[in-house]
Amino acid sequence: MAVDQIMKIQPSVQPERLNHEDVAAKWALWASVGYLCMFGTLGVITAIKFVIPDFFSNYDWLSWPRIRPAHVQGMIFGWLLPMYMAQFYYVVPRLTGTKLYSEKLGIATTIVWSIGIAWATFFLLDPANSLNPWLMTKGKEYEDYDTVSNIFLFVGWVMLLWNLGNTFARRKYKQMYAALWYIMGCLLWTAFVYLIGNWPSQLLPQYAFRGLNDANINWFYGHSIVGLIATPGGLGLAYYFIPKAANAPLYSHKLSLIGFWTLGAIYIWNGAHHMIYGPIPYWLQTVATIFSFLLFIPVFSVITNFFGTMRGEWHQLRNNVVLKFLMAGTVFYLLTCIQGPLQALRAMSAVVHFTDYTIGHAHMALFGTFTLYAFAGAYYSVPRIYRKPLYSEGMAEWHFWLSFLGFILFSTALWIGGFMQGIEWTDPSIPFIQTVRDVEPYWHARAIGGMLMLTGMYLFAFNLYKTATVPAPKATEGQLNVADGSEAVATA
Amino acid sequence: MKLETEIWLFVAVVGLSMLCWLLWLIKMKPEKSATATAIGIGLTFSIGLLFTILIPSFNKNWSPNTADQEARYHAVDKVENGVLWRQWPDGTQFQATDSGHPNGNITMDAPDGTIVGYTPLEQYGRHVYQREGCMYCHTQQVRPLYGDEMRFSVGASLALPADEREYVFDQPHFLGTRRIGPDLSREGGKYSDDWHYSHFFSPRQMVPGSIMPAFTWLFDKDADGNPIPSKDVRALVAYVQTLGYGRLVYEPATYPTTGGWGPWLRPADQQLYQKKGTEQVERAVQPIHGHDQLSNTNKVLSPSN
Repeated sequence: MAVDQIMKIQPSVQPERLNHEDVAAKWALWASVGYLCMFGTLGVITAIKFVIPDFFSNYDWLSWPRIRPAHVQGMIFGWLLPMYMAQFYYVVPRLTGTKLYSEKLGIATTIVWSIGIAWATFFLLDPANSLNPWLMTKGKEYEDYDTVSNIFLFVGWVMLLWNLGNTFARRKYKQMYAALWYIMGCLLWTAFVYLIGNWPSQLLPQYAFRGLNDANINWFYGHSIVGLIATPGGLGLAYYFIPKAANAPLYSHKLSLIGFWTLGAIYIWNGAHHMIYGPIPYWLQTVATIFSFLLFIPVFSVITNFFGTMRGEWHQLRNNVVLKFLMAGTVFYLLTCIQGPLQALRAMSAVVHFTDYTIGHAHMALFGTFTLYAFAGAYYSVPRIYRKPLYSEGMAEWHFWLSFLGFILFSTALWIGGFMQGIEWTDPSIPFIQTVRDVEPYWHARAIGGMLMLTGMYLFAFNLYKTATVPAPKATEGQLNVADGSEAVATA
Repeated sequence: MKLETEIWLFVAVVGLSMLCWLLWLIKMKPEKSATATAIGIGLTFSIGLLFTILIPSFNKNWSPNTADQEARYHAVDKVENGVLWRQWPDGTQFQATDSGHPNGNITMDAPDGTIVGYTPLEQYGRHVYQREGCMYCHTQQVRPLYGDEMRFSVGASLALPADEREYVFDQPHFLGTRRIGPDLSREGGKYSDDWHYSHFFSPRQMVPGSIMPAFTWLFDKDADGNPIPSKDVRALVAYVQTLGYGRLVYEPATYPTTGGWGPWLRPADQQLYQKKGTEQVERAVQPIHGHDQLSNTNKVLSPSN
């Protein structure tokens, strides 16, 4: 089926058969895959240091507190956002029925962005004993990157916004499909959020944004990274790839409308739930808790829509690896979004706040959902970008099961260990160091789970590399369907 | 214009734009759908920003007020016979130890409880804390929960929960989200400087089973190859020692409970605030210095002591 039939959109003008170049998509893709391997490895070293604290302890640039922000920030800004960019360069021209505004600008975006990431990571790992506030980490979670690299990343994002905004403006399909709203939301919200999160505390007059103002902005920004950047971007891709990979029309457009606008209106209010029982006003904590619960509206409309789209198509999961990633991601999305509001309750927060439970929750959103969506998008789009079948279907299967099972081990260990430590903290007669020792077995399990996930990532990178480089005859769309496992549909 | 008026005006403007946008959306042609989506994205964002960032930022307890800064200017730091003293306008003075931290329960803050900013050494220590990423493993907020108040107590006293006014001079904030190690906001004065130096050099010798990294790169070597604390770790310890009761202002009884957007000014602050009009404000002394004797006290340190 053609795009417009699957998405149930009536094109006002029938566009000509376009030959998309996808050069910008290729650049962003390889940057993100490289950073995935690099920052994934840092993540596993972080996990190992929990059980072997003296692992690599002679190198200050490999000390735990330096590689931890490099891993977290690198995975979000080095892997996830460039991969989103690559997918946007692929999806937006196909959904708007026009060519990308400028492939060259797309290449330049990836270059600017990569300079920013490399700069930031270098100064996070090795501040060279410099206490220059422009080069040093900002010391706030999710805002760790230094101010100079913030400028690179912001300029890069504005270039992306310009490029895709002009593509939107030249669209042939006048009505916009849900995926396009989400992508536009991701583009605009990222620009707003990034500017607000990284600006005031640095550049406004002294005393203006210190102390709790700084903390409040930090958590507005920190939560918006997940809620207004990763979520709309990832859901936008899922809104495109689920109907395409399942070859089935979207379940409901009204639901996607409700989901999008409630997401935009509600997510911004949630930042303060990171400081429940903290020194901020009680009303602000309560507001954050209430709005965290309101998030059930966008979440369940999205989940209903995705599962509804799969009605009668579940058998395809048997041999369609793209759908496997997408559906596993959707299930994790449901779980993480049930977990999140519950964590925002005062009673729950009193126990699990400050423990590993939160770390497990954050990984379920960013790895379990959005990274799995990004993997699915890559497995779907890379064969089409290069017009060759995927190098190895089996390797992709291995990647899926390593990611899925590795992540189950990883997050379950963190949830149980974190909850247990939280309960122990309520009893002051247990020494703090004892509560640390009691979590150690769970940290072993977490490190093993992380290694499984990392192995999957290496397989993913190798598979894509081979797909791009192994010479193969140019494939038709029918052959590509075989490559992503949906031969049943292709031959029917 | 009153603050309330300004905020309600902002709400009215954003609300009206939202209404116009919805009306426009109903009558809209598909060609305009991209513009409408973009406008809606901006509107929903502005509303959230207004209520969760802008309105809370008017809270006077969240930033240093004039009284805090005046008190800072009036403090006199002086060194007599190698001992650092800090004197307040009312004649109160107290002795600080060699790293400039409050000794025991003595506070570095003004007698009326006004919080003062950090000395340059302590601010330098904050930057080292930031560079070495201490805040990824240590929170600086005691929650008003039995477990927290008991666990981080000092001696027989419960640790008082975190107060808004503790953080006014903190840039960046170090509230933290993960307690891989214990909370540090009531840590000052619990251990000696020497304990901290040894602990930074070799955490597992001081606390068996600890998973804290050994910050060996914060130490220099003397002629015999023994590690001696560098300026970085001395500043770091000076900062950590300020994190205690000395920074705490917790007088719930004196807070007005009604009126305006919240109980922002404490009576003590109000008095100082009113005095400002009549009093010539002058900086008695540059408040910065007095810790220079640090460089003369190169104690030899080995992990075993």
